[in-house]
Amino acid sequence: MKPGLKVGLIGAGTMGSAHAEAYRVLDNAELVAVSDLIYERAQAIAAKTGAEIKTADQIFADSSIDVVDVCLPTYLHRDFVVAAAQAGKHVFCEKPMARSLQEAEEMKTACEKAGVKLGIGHVVRFFPEYIRAYDQVKNGKVGKVAMVRCTRGGFPLPTAWQDWYANYALSGGLVLDMIIHDFDYLRWLLGPVERVFAKGTRGRDYNRLEYALVSLKFRSGTIAHVEGSWVSSGGFHTRFEIAGSQGLIDYDSRKANPITLTVNKKDGTPGVPVPASAWAENPYTTEIRNFINVLDGKDGKIVDGNEGYESLKIALAALESIETGKPVNL
Amino acid sequence: MKVGMISFAHLHAESYASALMQMPEVEFSGIYDEDQSRARKWAERFGVKQFATLKDLLDSDIEAVIICSTNADHCRYTVAAAEAKKHVLVEKPIATTIQDANKMIETCKNNGVKLQIAFPVRYLPSVLEAKRIVDSGQLGRILAIKATNHGSMPGGWFVEKELAGGGAVIDHTVHVIDLIRWMLELEVKEVYAEYDRLIHDIPTEDCGLLTMELTNNVFATLDTSWNRPSAYPTWGDVTMTIIGTTGVLELDGFAQKYDLYNNEIKKAQWEYWGGDMDYFLVRDFLLACKNNLPVKVSGEDGLKTLEVALAAYKAGKDHQPVKTEDIK
Ligand SMILES: NC(=O)c1ccc[n+]([C@@H]2O[C@H](COP(=O)([O-])OP(=O)(O)OC[C@H]3O[C@@H](n4cnc5c(N)ncnc54)[C@H](O)[C@@H]3O)[C@@H](O)[C@H]2O)c1
Repeated sequence: MKPGLKVGLIGAGTMGSAHAEAYRVLDNAELVAVSDLIYERAQAIAAKTGAEIKTADQIFADSSIDVVDVCLPTYLHRDFVVAAAQAGKHVFCEKPMARSLQEAEEMKTACEKAGVKLGIGHVVRFFPEYIRAYDQVKNGKVGKVAMVRCTRGGFPLPTAWQDWYANYALSGGLVLDMIIHDFDYLRWLLGPVERVFAKGTRGRDYNRLEYALVSLKFRSGTIAHVEGSWVSSGGFHTRFEIAGSQGLIDYDSRKANPITLTVNKKDGTPGVPVPASAWAENPYTTEIRNFINVLDGKDGKIVDGNEGYESLKIALAALESIETGKPVNL
Repeated sequence: MKVGMISFAHLHAESYASALMQMPEVEFSGIYDEDQSRARKWAERFGVKQFATLKDLLDSDIEAVIICSTNADHCRYTVAAAEAKKHVLVEKPIATTIQDANKMIETCKNNGVKLQIAFPVRYLPSVLEAKRIVDSGQLGRILAIKATNHGSMPGGWFVEKELAGGGAVIDHTVHVIDLIRWMLELEVKEVYAEYDRLIHDIPTEDCGLLTMELTNNVFATLDTSWNRPSAYPTWGDVTMTIIGTTGVLELDGFAQKYDLYNNEIKKAQWEYWGGDMDYFLVRDFLLACKNNLPVKVSGEDGLKTLEVALAAYKAGKDHQPVKTEDIK
């Protein structure tokens, strides 16, 4: 047994697996329990980490467990976070915090009442390129920030458990699920948003081919543009451009690939080039390490329930604007 | 064919003049500019005549004029040239008001002369190729467009509302709207905009972002900001991402470049080698005049793009979407 905090993980899908890997490499936390409706998924994580397979209720009831990590589809966050808090566990919950502000409010209240910490998985704040840009902006490298453009996209929409991403009522679609990352980053960088106007394919066309463009006006004066796409070619990618009075930062993940591997096919014809990233530390691990360190009384950064709530507000405002065709004031 | 130029207030005049010089079948007759010293400078540079008055130029045997005055003067010069039966190629935007634009279109029509608006971007080889791809139908049905026309802050009369009609929004809305209309055959129905003066100490806005509803249920955004810092390797860009049901086209109009690193310039520079769009524009206009063919970019095309820019100003002030049909 490792020293440190004991963690129970609920949801062993894509994100659950990423979090499990983080606990495996941390030396002040241990994944002791994992739960998933799909037994094989829990089993795969158990085999890698030595965690026990349990039900969510068993995890809540286990007094040796300090932290519950919720990696469930968005519409389930509220129920499980509230239950974990009521059981006296600190909670880490994937973004977006919830499907509605009402749910997010209940999560915040439950954690405050129970006196436990709540962390929301706004992992972009832990990506080294985004951190570097944040620091440089704060150090005045681009002067006063005027105009920011962000892109997040790929193709196709991921097919997850019960295809829940494709169900707008459950996931909130592209705007709530994916480009909330950029809303959260921008809010961290630029402060509160004043006004949101957005357009998207939702409600007018295809649901699987989702695409959205969002215009944001910040109280600081800055204007921002966020593009979200499940239709873009060339694999998952992100971009940001931060233009200010003294300079400009331009980032495109497609141009920042240290490795591109092309393996020729057996018949001698050329294969498809596949870019690979090479993290000094996986940002999901950095995120979890920070959360655990704070619980452990060390230095660390948490994106807490209030922050998760504010970023959720922007995403929901964008969805409202898409629906009504009108700007939404925050 | 003899051609004259009216005003070198707009920096593109130099490029159009160079284009004229490259055409053996064209005679660049000379320049009239209210600013006499500016007229002298450019007349000497190109070895052409300096006309003392507008009347002298318009009384001469030229067949066409190229007008590169301030935006607010486009109307006055176009009307004078048309009444003297000269064909007109006028810098964009067509004018600063709908009334002026209508007057220009009508006067040219009544006098039987051609009016073309200088939208050179239509003549970029990359843009022509993009149009061929769009026309091939490979993208399926178009769903959305994301575009930018960034630039550096031009200064001078460009930042005076009375002369330019506005700042970054009017300057950089019209090119891309023209591309959208021509390439995709879509019209802008409604415009929302955020714009502000956020970078430079100037009277007009330097940043702008338009969000639009187009015909065929398509939506689009366009970033018109003058936000390339002086350290940037080039002047700006024209980009379009076109999202279709069966494909995505990414156009970066000036991507045909290499990187230049020079110790004296101190910053990296992008050297564009993709083709001289201004030359193609001027040649095309003169061919239309000579052969009495319809011009590629009409006054109505210029008017439609101006409507969008003016709608953006209203939307940005009211924080509400504005219908282009309400712009009068
Ligand atoms: N931070 C990021 O970069 C990022 C990336 C992707 C997803 N997410 C977020 O993470 C969350 C999970 O997404 P995902 O892609 O991992 O989804 P997923 O579908 O891959 O995984 C969800 C898992 O939860 C399990 N599950 C469902 N109900 C359960 C229950 N009652 N008890 C136990 N297990 C249950 C499912 O069997 C499935 O294995 C979502 O909120 C999503 O928005 C974040």
